[in-house]
Amino acid sequence: MAATPLLEVRGINKSFGPVQVLRDVDFAIYPGEVTALVGDNGAGKSTLVKCIGGIHPIDSGEYYVEGQPVTVHSPRDAAQLGVEIVYQDLALCDNLDIVQNMFLGRERRNGLVLDEITMEQLATNTLASLSVRTVKSVRQLVASLSGGQRQTVAIAKAVLWNSRVVILDEPTAALGVAQTAQVLELVRRLADTGHAVVLISHNMNDVFAVSDRIAALYLGRMAAQVKATDVTHAQVVELITAGRSGDLGLAPTGAETVNGVQS
Amino acid sequence: MRTGPSQDEIRRLNLGALLRYVHLHGPTSRAELTANLGLNRSTIGALTADLVAAGLVREELPRDHGRAGRPSLVVRPEPNAYVFAFTIEADRVTAARVGLGGEILDRRDLPRPRGELPPAEVVAPLADAVRAMQGSVPASARYIGSGAAVSAMVRREDGLVRLAPHIGWVDEPLGEILAKVLGPDRPVTIRNAADLRALAEYTRGTAVGCDNVVYLHGDAGLGGGIIAGGRPVTGHGGYGGEVGHMVVNPAGKQCGCGARGCWETEVGEAALLRAAGRDGYGRELVTAVVDAAARGDAVAQNAIRQVGDWLGFGVANLVNIFNPEMVIFGGGLREVYLAAAAQVRSRLNRNALPVCREHVRLRTPMLGDDAALLGAAEVAFEPLLTDPLDATAG
Repeated sequence: MAATPLLEVRGINKSFGPVQVLRDVDFAIYPGEVTALVGDNGAGKSTLVKCIGGIHPIDSGEYYVEGQPVTVHSPRDAAQLGVEIVYQDLALCDNLDIVQNMFLGRERRNGLVLDEITMEQLATNTLASLSVRTVKSVRQLVASLSGGQRQTVAIAKAVLWNSRVVILDEPTAALGVAQTAQVLELVRRLADTGHAVVLISHNMNDVFAVSDRIAALYLGRMAAQVKATDVTHAQVVELITAGRSGDLGLAPTGAETVNGVQS
Repeated sequence: MRTGPSQDEIRRLNLGALLRYVHLHGPTSRAELTANLGLNRSTIGALTADLVAAGLVREELPRDHGRAGRPSLVVRPEPNAYVFAFTIEADRVTAARVGLGGEILDRRDLPRPRGELPPAEVVAPLADAVRAMQGSVPASARYIGSGAAVSAMVRREDGLVRLAPHIGWVDEPLGEILAKVLGPDRPVTIRNAADLRALAEYTRGTAVGCDNVVYLHGDAGLGGGIIAGGRPVTGHGGYGGEVGHMVVNPAGKQCGCGARGCWETEVGEAALLRAAGRDGYGRELVTAVVDAAARGDAVAQNAIRQVGDWLGFGVANLVNIFNPEMVIFGGGLREVYLAAAAQVRSRLNRNALPVCREHVRLRTPMLGDDAALLGAAEVAFEPLLTDPLDATAG
C-alpha cells in the first residue's frame, strides 16, 4: 500500500471529433495493487487505457510515473516506461509456439541467429515466477492452448518485458469456471509480485475477488476511485449506472435521476 | 538469578534456525544465510558443517554466479531425510513421503467413499501404502517421523480423535493405531486438517509473511485454521478453531453437531446444493453449481449469492475478533468465494468494523489440495527443526 502511485494521470481530456470521450479524468494506480476499472459500455474505459498505453494522444492532461511528469506519444514510449496492455483479443499468433509468441518482434539474437535457448529459458522462468502450472511445454503451439492458457501466455508476455504496469482488458470474458479461477489467481499473483495491475471487467465478482481499489467511470468522467474494503456491490453498481452513490461519486447535476439498479 | 543460555543451547537454536531456513526457503547461499540469520560467516560455516555431518544439508557450488570473486557455497536441504505425511478427510485419504525441503517424493491417493468407516478400514490401506513407499526408499535415506491431517477434533497430546463428524469417529485412538503401523521409535503427530492447511499456507503458500491468518476450508464440513501473531491458535486441548460451528442463524437448520444454525449449515456444501436444488455431495457438484451460475442459471445464481452473503457474515465476525491480514478460502469454498466475491466483500464491508477490516486481504490458497499433506509433513519435521542433532541421534 505505497503512498505514491506508480502511474497517475490527471485531468485527462480526449475527444474524437465533436465527441468528448474523457472529461477531466484523474486515475492513479499503485504497485502491488489491483485497480479495477469499471464502467458501462461507452463510459470510456478502453479510451482511457489506450491513452495510458500511448495509442491515443491525449488532448490535455498530465501523465506521471513515480511522481515524475512524462510525455507519452506512442505505445513504444509507454512500453519504455514499463506499461503493457493485454487486450481482449490477446493478439497471439496461433501458428507460433509460446516462446515465439512471447518474443514476437523482440527476438533475442546471438550473432546472426536467434538465441532460442535463452528465449526458451526466459519464457520458462517467467511462467514459473507466476506459478503457472497449466502449461506443459513452452514449445506448444498457441493454437493448441485453451482460452485460459492463452490468457496466461498473454499475461506472461506482458510480464516478460520488465513491465511495472500491466493493464488487462476483460481477461476472464469467455472463460469457463475453472479457467476464470486460474486467471483471477494469476492476476492477484501479478500484483503480489509488485506489479501495478489494472483490471477492466464487467463481472462484479471478479472485481471484488481480486481488486484493492475500484475506479468507476461514468459517461467519460471518473465517478469515484475507492478502496475495495470500503464499498459494497450495490454502491459500485450505482456508481457505474448513475455516477454516484450516497456521498460517493459525481455531484448531482439536478436533472438526472438515480437508477438504483441491482444486479 | 537465572543464568543466560549455555553455549550448547545457543548452538542448538542456531542449528535449528539454519535448518529451518533452508527447509522453508530452499537452496540458499552462505552469504544470504549470513545476512538473513544475523550470524557471522564463520558461525554459518561451522553450523553448516555440523548439519552436513548429520546428513541434513548438502553444500554445492552454485551453477552460475556470473560475478567476480569466489562464489559463496549454496546450502540445500537433504531430501534423504524424510517424513511420512497422511491426510484423512471425508472425501480422500492420502499417504506421501516428503523430503526435507518440503518436496513430495512419493504420494498415493487412496479412494475413500464418503460415509462412516471404522479406523481400521482406513488405516489398513494407509499401512499398505507406507509399505509400498518404504520399498522404494534409498538405503541412505533417514526416517524422521510422521504427521497426519484429519478432518476431526484431535487431542493434541496423543492423537486421540475425539470427534470426526463427517468420518463418523468418536474417541478413536488414531495416534496409537498409526504408531503401531509406523513403529514406536519415531513420533506420529496428528492434527486437525484445517489447522495444518493454515500452517502450510503460512509457511510456504500464499500467506508467507502474514502473521495473522484465518484459513477456511469447505468440503463436507467447514473447518478453520487460525494463525495469530505467527502462532497457530489451537486452544487448550487442540480443539480450537471450529469456526464452522459458530452459530450465525439461531433460526436456521439443525446442524450435525446438535446445535441449530451453525455457520456450516448456511455456507457448507450441503447448504449450497440444497439452495441450488441439487441432490448429492462432493466438490464436483459444487463446481457444477458455480458453472451453472456463470452460464446464467438463475437458481444457481441465487444459491451462490445467498451462500456468499452468509459467508460474508461469518468472515466479518472472524475479522472483528482476529483482525487478520488475510482470509483464505480453500477446498470447495475457493470456487464459491470467487463466484460470490461481491457478496462476501459487501457483507464484510457492511458488518466488520472499519479498523479491523481495512487491511484484510481475501485470497485463495496457493498450495491447493496439497496443503493438508504439506502441513502434516511440517509438523512431522518440527522436532528435527527444533533440535536437528538430537532428533536424528540413534
